[in-house]
Amino acid sequence: MNDPAILSAHGLVRQERGRGSSGWTLGPLDLEVSVGECLAIVGPNGAGKTTLLRCLAGLREPTAGEVAHRGRRFADLSRRELARRIAYVPQVRPASVPLSVREAVELGRYPHLSRFQLAPSATDHRAIDRALAAAGIEAFAERPLDELSGGERQMAWIAAALAQEAEVLILDEPTTHLDPRHQRDVAGLLHRLHREGGATVLLATHDLELAGLLGDRVLALRSGRIASLGPPSEVLAADSLADLFDAPFRAGLDGGTARLSLAP
Amino acid sequence: MRSLSPRSALALLGLLWLAVAFGAPLLGSQPIGLSDVLRGDPTALAIFWQLRLPRVLLALLAGGALATAGLGFQTLFRNPLAEPYTLGVAGGAALGAVLALRVSEGLGALGLPLVALASFAGALGATALVAGVALRRKESETGTLLLAGIGVSLSTSALILFVQYLADATQTFRMVRWMMGGLSVVGYREVLWLLPWTLLGLAALLASRWDLNLLLAGEEIAASRGVDVPRLRLRILLATSLMIGALVAVAGPIGFVGLMVPHALRRLVGHDHLILAPACLLGGGAFLALADLAARTVMAPADLPVGVLTALLGGPFFLVLLAVRRGRG
Repeated sequence: MNDPAILSAHGLVRQERGRGSSGWTLGPLDLEVSVGECLAIVGPNGAGKTTLLRCLAGLREPTAGEVAHRGRRFADLSRRELARRIAYVPQVRPASVPLSVREAVELGRYPHLSRFQLAPSATDHRAIDRALAAAGIEAFAERPLDELSGGERQMAWIAAALAQEAEVLILDEPTTHLDPRHQRDVAGLLHRLHREGGATVLLATHDLELAGLLGDRVLALRSGRIASLGPPSEVLAADSLADLFDAPFRAGLDGGTARLSLAP
Repeated sequence: MRSLSPRSALALLGLLWLAVAFGAPLLGSQPIGLSDVLRGDPTALAIFWQLRLPRVLLALLAGGALATAGLGFQTLFRNPLAEPYTLGVAGGAALGAVLALRVSEGLGALGLPLVALASFAGALGATALVAGVALRRKESETGTLLLAGIGVSLSTSALILFVQYLADATQTFRMVRWMMGGLSVVGYREVLWLLPWTLLGLAALLASRWDLNLLLAGEEIAASRGVDVPRLRLRILLATSLMIGALVAVAGPIGFVGLMVPHALRRLVGHDHLILAPACLLGGGAFLALADLAARTVMAPADLPVGVLTALLGGPFFLVLLAVRRGRG
């Protein structure tokens, strides 16, 4: 193992006690993400994208199998050690968070703070400023989160995850509910982080174009199993998407991402 | 409201606390002058040191404990209506204490420890029950939590009535007076008893200040930043329940201080628990000591139980808070 994958899952199974009587199961699945890669996860509602991301972020314990960061099993890492390695931006957040943008980003430093530390150190402040600058949100750093638009808030939470200075950034539906301009802002930020910053990024999205644009590889998830995993040109081709979503797709222009077709 | 920096607001609260600690013992149905106390007038000295100072000190500690515990519950459950009284924790402690009062007749010196142990058990039991029910439902929403609190409160008051029914007239009178929440018969023993538990609770909140701040952003974000949420929950619930158990054992259930004080202080000093927790200790203490001062002076020479007064203020406050929250959606 001289070059272990940065993130790997082996025989990963997660059983969810679902709503109602029947639960459902993610996996078993194997996955390796290499350093600096961007992996986009697509799939129909309820395919298990969020559960997969939570398992890969260490927020849910696998029912069977294991997940590891650079060969170190999650089970052997404390929550704080895990948070220094992997940052996560969830899709669902409380409607109201009584913090300013800077305060929220400051709390991204949590895994680096000692319990007895009264205030963030100079190192912490440098990381906070870098995160705010990377997200381009210095201008409203002092504003309360609750006063921001959805798109600005999303940028703030991404900045908070960046302040964590983890090697891997995992995002759940980062552009959902955003208007086109803010979708572009978020996509642009992720693109810069990945292409210029060399960050390892995992994201789940319903935006197939975004998946094709950002993803080095795309993982199609269906009913908790990997339906296909490969370069965007293969996974996002009309045939595979029609299979995945059980809906008609037609080929995209110039061999790009296929598009949903309204006529059968 | 935020023209004052959080730190200077905290310093002002400290000054208020000191002013109350030294001023309140001078006032009452029979005002005494500071000069009399300093001159060594025996009557003034007796009233100041033996009667009023322990009562004021206990009010300062009890109010601080109530507000600090309220803050802990509110942050933990992400719910501004959570507090020891509405969650049934005070009711649980009261049930334990009433049972102990019923059986402790004639136990003499064993009285306080037994009542205290029983209220600890009651507070912990009620907390476990409410938290268990509320957290079982993944979304710990306002409704479930408060309904669980109401369920526990109703059960404990029914059981308390039952115990009272079984007790004789003298016992019943003691229990009823005690249930009103009052600070009238206290000495330094009660003050010294409550002090360590209150400080323990404050220390637990301060030691978890980053965790609690992060919890404001929701459990998923907190967990992904490295907070061990279940362990944090256990630590805070344990510390706050012990605080409430200790307090109820000496002063009875005093309602709504834990609701009103943290709410007002958040507006004054913001949301950072490093400042907010000590602010609640100081502000809650000053509030309850002033309320108790009012309770023993407005109808003098009658001595109104302070719990009656705080409930009179707190009930409407709770309703307003509920209405405003609903209005916001």
